[in-house]
Amino acid sequence: MFELIFFLLFTVAPLLGAYVIGTTLERRHFRSIRAREDELRAFPTVTLRQAPAAWQAQHAELVIGHVVVSIDYFKRFLAGLRTLVGGRVRAFESVLDRGRREALLRMQEQARAGGFDAVIGVRYETSRLASARPDGQGTSGVEVMAFGTAVRVTAPSSSAAVEHALADTVPVD
Amino acid sequence: MEFKPRAPDDSVNVAPGHPLAEAAWLIGGITLVGAVAVVSLIWAVELALPLISVEAEREIFASFADFFAEEADEGEPDPRVEPLRGLLAELAGLWPEAPYEFQLGFLDEDAPNALALPGGHILVTRGLLDMLESENEVAFVLAHELGHFANRDHLRALGRAMVLGLAFAAVTGSGAGAATPQTLGVVRTLAERGFSRDQERDADAFGLQLLQARYGHVNGSTGFFDRLQAHPAFRDEGGALGAWMATHPHSGDRIEALRALAAERGWPAAGALTPMRRSSP
Repeated sequence: MFELIFFLLFTVAPLLGAYVIGTTLERRHFRSIRAREDELRAFPTVTLRQAPAAWQAQHAELVIGHVVVSIDYFKRFLAGLRTLVGGRVRAFESVLDRGRREALLRMQEQARAGGFDAVIGVRYETSRLASARPDGQGTSGVEVMAFGTAVRVTAPSSSAAVEHALADTVPVD
Repeated sequence: MEFKPRAPDDSVNVAPGHPLAEAAWLIGGITLVGAVAVVSLIWAVELALPLISVEAEREIFASFADFFAEEADEGEPDPRVEPLRGLLAELAGLWPEAPYEFQLGFLDEDAPNALALPGGHILVTRGLLDMLESENEVAFVLAHELGHFANRDHLRALGRAMVLGLAFAAVTGSGAGAATPQTLGVVRTLAERGFSRDQERDADAFGLQLLQARYGHVNGSTGFFDRLQAHPAFRDEGGALGAWMATHPHSGDRIEALRALAAERGWPAAGALTPMRRSSP
């Protein structure tokens, strides 16, 4: 009986605890991401290398948003099992999704706080943070960075300007 | 053409499915595959056993025997061991087709135990010597270990232990470290508890036969088990851990099986016990 309790205490309990806590935090993060995305929906953020002429863009400035996210113990365990058989590592997909969206949001928030109207030339960088383990193996977290060029748009309406610009460059259905 | 800010599909970058369901599938599937692998490897050990000659065994396990012999040489040599080497030789002499030159080693451990290792090495622990009171009892223990050699249980146990050691290494991720001291330690531990009840029973029968041949009666074959039943580490009511750790059949069962066998073969259960051999000072 004691052995069973010990076994559960040291193997199953940490996993379940990590699952409950990790899932709660992840849900909360996704809620926050969606709310802020809604808020920034109309903030033009594009990958174009140059601001469309119609924008009459001024005051270009580098904006960077980055975030470091870590996996939890349960995700590590799940991904470890997954590496044995292959396939989509779902446990990590949601982490990277959160990272990319959070980084973009922070970049947009920085641009907006600086009084800019749009961000062009948006790019992503992702790097793995090495583990604190002595052998340097494993992952302690991942850094996702979004960066771009924030510009002020002097055209009458930024939404309308984007529409013009996109009409000039890429087909939009 | 019109630009409409809208929310992208939220779910496309995260695969659907519940994490706990995924964990259950993965754990279940990997456990199943692992169990099948272990069972088939143990089966392969069974198939390989008759193909390994004693000469091949000596060659293959030369380093293993050294490993155990080294360990056995550590610690103070017990003065009780030396006189027993002669007894072991006498018993082996009663087994005409004995394929080994048997050697007796000593382990300074509390748990009463005797080990049959590849290459004809028999190890007895201090705890075991403490519990034996007559030469007949020692003879039965040694003859029992000879029985393991006769049935090649030592190889079987080692093969199984290596399979389980590999599985252990795979699970704990020590990967290529199958030959590390830690893994060897695990293999050794598993080899010690590797004999099944049937194997113990067969070895008991072999030992009883030698005991009868040596002394003309089988008195002394059960004394050890009587005392073992009272030993705290092996008490049957030792709880879940005791039952889980115990590899030998319950002492009571073995006493009954030994008595039944002796009665069946007509071997006298009573007879004078020979006192323990002491080394001359």
